[in-house]
This record gives sequence, C-alpha cells and structure tokens, in this order.
Amino acid sequence: MIAPHKVEIDQVLVRFGGVVALNAISAAFTAPIGGIIGPNGAGKTTLMNVISGFVTSKGGRVVVDGQDILTHPPHKRAHMGLRRSFQKEQIADDLTVFENVLVQLDHRLGSPAAKRAEAERMLEVVGLSDRADIPGALLSGFERRLTDVARCMVGNPKLIMFDEPAGGLSVEETHALGDLILGIHALTGAQTLVIDHDVELISRVCTETLVLDFGRRIAFGPTAQVLADPKVKAAYLGTEDIA
Amino acid sequence: MDRSLFRITPSGASGLIFAALAFTVLPAIAGSYWMSVLTSAACFTMAASGVAFMYARLGMVSLTQVGLMGIGGWVALRLNYLFDFPFEVNLILAALATMVFGWILALPALRMRGLYLALVTLMAAGGLEILFSTFQFPNGGVGFWGVKIGSTDPFRGPMLAQTPEAFLRYVIGMTTLGFLLIEAHRRTAPGRAWALIRKSEAAAMAAGVNVTLYKTWAFGIAGLLAGASGALLAASLGLLDDGTFRSPESILLFALAVVGGSRYWLGPVIAAFLYRILPALLNTWGVNADLAYVIFGIGLLHALITAPNGIAGQIFEAAQALTTKPRGQK
Ligand SMILES: Nc1ncnc2c1ncn2[C@@H]1O[C@H](COP(=O)(O)OP(=O)(O)OP(=O)(O)O)[C@@H](O)[C@H]1O
Ligand SMILES: [Mg+2]
Repeated sequence: MIAPHKVEIDQVLVRFGGVVALNAISAAFTAPIGGIIGPNGAGKTTLMNVISGFVTSKGGRVVVDGQDILTHPPHKRAHMGLRRSFQKEQIADDLTVFENVLVQLDHRLGSPAAKRAEAERMLEVVGLSDRADIPGALLSGFERRLTDVARCMVGNPKLIMFDEPAGGLSVEETHALGDLILGIHALTGAQTLVIDHDVELISRVCTETLVLDFGRRIAFGPTAQVLADPKVKAAYLGTEDIA
Repeated sequence: MDRSLFRITPSGASGLIFAALAFTVLPAIAGSYWMSVLTSAACFTMAASGVAFMYARLGMVSLTQVGLMGIGGWVALRLNYLFDFPFEVNLILAALATMVFGWILALPALRMRGLYLALVTLMAAGGLEILFSTFQFPNGGVGFWGVKIGSTDPFRGPMLAQTPEAFLRYVIGMTTLGFLLIEAHRRTAPGRAWALIRKSEAAAMAAGVNVTLYKTWAFGIAGLLAGASGALLAASLGLLDDGTFRSPESILLFALAVVGGSRYWLGPVIAAFLYRILPALLNTWGVNADLAYVIFGIGLLHALITAPNGIAGQIFEAAQALTTKPRGQK
C-alpha cells in the first residue's frame, strides 16, 4: 500500500465583490478519498478553483504532499500532479477519446510509446478501450465522464479533484463511477477529493468530508459523523438535494 | 514514433492529389497572364491557410494576415538588395522574421478574446498599412528603407525556378509544405493542446497545457506562413506595392477563409480563388471586377446562414454522404 498523501488547506479566503465565497477555510485531508459537500453556492467549486489555481486566495496556504502550491500557475500545478474535472465535463469534441487522455501526458518527459501505453491502460481501467478512436463529439454523457476520469488518472497524479462527477448520471452509472473512484488510490497512489450533491455516493466513497455553507466550514471529520451532525442537517434543510 | 502522424485520411489524400494536379497541370496550360494570377493565388492560399488554421483550431480571429505578408515581402526585398544570399535564405529569414512579428502581435492579443482580439489585430494591420505607405518597399535604393525613384533593381528568384512556370510550381510546392506543417501540428501535442484550449482554457490548463505558449505558437505559425507567402509574392512580381497590403485586404482574406471553410484544406484554396482568380475571370469576361465584392457578400451571407463549415465543408460533407451511402444501404 502506498502511503497516503496529505492535502492541507489553511485559512483560504476568497471574496467576490461583496460575497465572501470562502471565509478562512481550513481542513487537512489525510484519507485517500475525501469529500466536500454543501448546498448550492456554498463555495465548493470555489475551493476547488483555489486549489487548482483559477481563483486566488487572499493569504492562506494549500499544501499538497509537503509543497505549498498556491504560487504556481494552473498548468504548473498540473505538472506537479494536480488533476481536476469540471462540473461540466471538458472533452474536446474534435479529439478522439484516446487523444483526450493523451493530452494530459504531452507535457511530461518520456517516450511517446510509454505515454501511449499509459493512456491505453487507463482507458482500459475505465472501460473505454473499444471507444478509444471515437471522436469526443460522439460520446454519451457517461462516456465523457469516464474519459475525464481516465485523463485525471494518467501521468502520476498526486491529487485528483472531481467537481460533481455524478451530475446527470443514472444510479447504475453513479455506482460504477464510485467503484472507479474507490480504485484510484491503489492504482495511482493519488489522493482524491470529490464534490457532489449525491450523499449516497459521498458516504460510500469518502472517508472524511468537509461541509461548507455560505463560505463557512460547518463541519469536517469522518463522513458518517459529519452527516449526522445537526448543523449539517440544518444547512441542508429546505434544499431538495439531500431528500 | 507517433504512428498517427503519417496516417493518410481521405481529406488528406484528396488534398495531395489536388496539389499534384495543380503542380503538373496548371503551369502547363496557363498563358503568361494566368500564370501570374495563379502564382499570386497560390501565395494567398498559403497566407489564407494561416488565418484559417487560427480560426478553425483556436477560434481566434486574426485580421493582420495580409499586413504580415507585407512584412515578409519587405524583409525578403530588403535582404535581396543588401546581401547576395540565395532566394531560399531570404525566404526562410523573411518567414522567421514574420513569425517573430506574429509572436509580438500575440502579446497584446493573448489578453483579448473574440471581438477585442479581432480589433487588436485590425489595429496592427492599420499600423502596418501606414508604415508601408510611408516607407514603401525596398527596390534597390540606399539606406535602411532602400527605396529609390525610377527603375527597380532585379530580384533574385529561386535557383530552381527561373521561369514563370517553374516558379508557379515552386509556390505550389511551398504552399503544400505549409499545409503539411499545419497538419503535422494538428496531429501532435500542439494540436491536442489547441483542441482543448478551444474547448475551454481552464480545462486546458488543468490538463497541464501552457495556454500562453500554445496560443503564441499559433500566432507564430500564422506569421510564418504569411511571411513566406509575402516573400514568394515579392519574388513573383520582383517588387511590391503598398496598395496590396492595406488593412481591408486582411479583413477580406479572413472573411473569404470563413466562406471557403477554415476547417478544411480546400477552404483556403477557395478563399484564394475568390480573392485572386474570380476578379481576374470577371476582368477577362469584360465584367466590372467590383462584382466580385457582391459575390463575396453573398458568399459571406451563405456561410453565416447555411454553411458554418464553409463551402469546403459542404463539398466534403456531400462527398462523404455519397461515398457512405452504398455501404449504409447494404
Ligand atoms: N467568478 C465568480 N465571480 C463572482 N462570484 C462568484 C464567482 N464564482 C463563484 N461565485 C459566487 O461564490 C459563491 C460560491 O460559489 P461556488 O460556485 O463555489 O458554489 P458551489 O458550492 O460550487 O455551488 P454549486 O453546488 O451550485 O455548484 C456563490 O455565491 C457564487 O455566486
Ligand atoms: Mg459548484
């Protein structure tokens, strides 16, 4: 077993005009898979954007595997082993499934043959080997998600973040996705953070979970414990997502 | 080795056959008037391929391309009268100098998108227009600008191509090389990066793509092609006139590349046909050449309303439908 990495979020602060999207958030994720939940507009995506470099935190630190990453531009962070998917999956329509995965390896040193082999291997892991040469435009929503997952898994990742990966998926597809996420650590050694509204998925795959509401941390700890927290239940009251 | 790099697609095969036919047939049948029209059209095909590629791969509108041709032409003429380099050296240096200019143009352009990017590139074209009309093109005079009144000193063309026919072949060959350069990029890491950038810059960055680098690179390639085509145009005419490189020409060339179909090799060919050959045809038929602008307008409306992939897109889609139908019916 590979030693788990550690993602330390320390005093991350983001304001958009008058809105405090993240109010001095701190949390240290140490489990192989962590979750981030919260009602709409809670700041989950913003936190992911800070970690991947699209939004700047006013002060604070994010330490991944012993390295403060906040000073690096987004593509450098990717080179350092950060991966993420977006709320809307980003698959280039005019690239094949294979090329959509290969692009993640292009900036790395190494032989083209080795890169191709790795991309092929990850497509096999997600079950898209027979779709490898199909253009992205022809994929179903689930296949696009799987391509995204394969892309995140290549190139020796350290931290993979999924923003609502189960959005728009059926129950069976969500289950299959959960299986894949559960296998990431053993396969790549990477730590994973998952944002989702699907509490079933979160409680199944995430060992520890951070709950945000209006930019504040209202709970953080083992997932079952967090989900039973009255403050968390109150935050979700009236939002249909948790029904 | 990248095994998909040398894969021959139906579209690629048709392009190579077209180039081979143009290479063998056109110089053999054209008279001296048409030889010069076709040579100029081949030069503009190369320039149009640069803007078409930027638009198709990155969605970037560049309205400087003909101005950049002027730079390539200027550098080639300047070198020709300063040194005794063979034409090939002047051609390469002119292309490289224009590529650098493309990079400089990319600096402000990288911060802009859409309409703003188009405006910045148009301003650059306007600036070049003023420079060219103020200083003219070198023709053998003394000093940095190298302009003299009266007759022009001779321009050394390529050693390989001393006759107009051979020179037309030469330009067709170079233009084909330009297309292959673009296609080689499209099939390797830069092409993958561009495709992802066009999908979403954030997604590209998250995949480790250095967006600034690859966008700048694209500007450089468009500049390289413009510079080479400008140098070839200078060689074909022996001199250049600032009227050729006014900013409306850049707008027109871009618009025609969209009308032609920026995603296909045929698109820039159609663009150059409309830009250079159609007015010449109207001329020989005794029709007012301004009618060409009316046709351009209709073509643009056609592209905007019914043919997002341009005329080339319609042709290739029709060809595909024709060739796949029998199989589908089985
Ligand atoms: N680029 C931005 N500019 C201005 N405000 C923003 C920006 N991005 C997010 N916000 C605001 O910050 C707050 C947090 O948004 P965020 O997208 O992080 O929420 P979320 O938890 O991901 O919500 P959802 O579950 O709907 O995806 C919201 O009030 C949102 O309107
Ligand atoms: Mg979100």
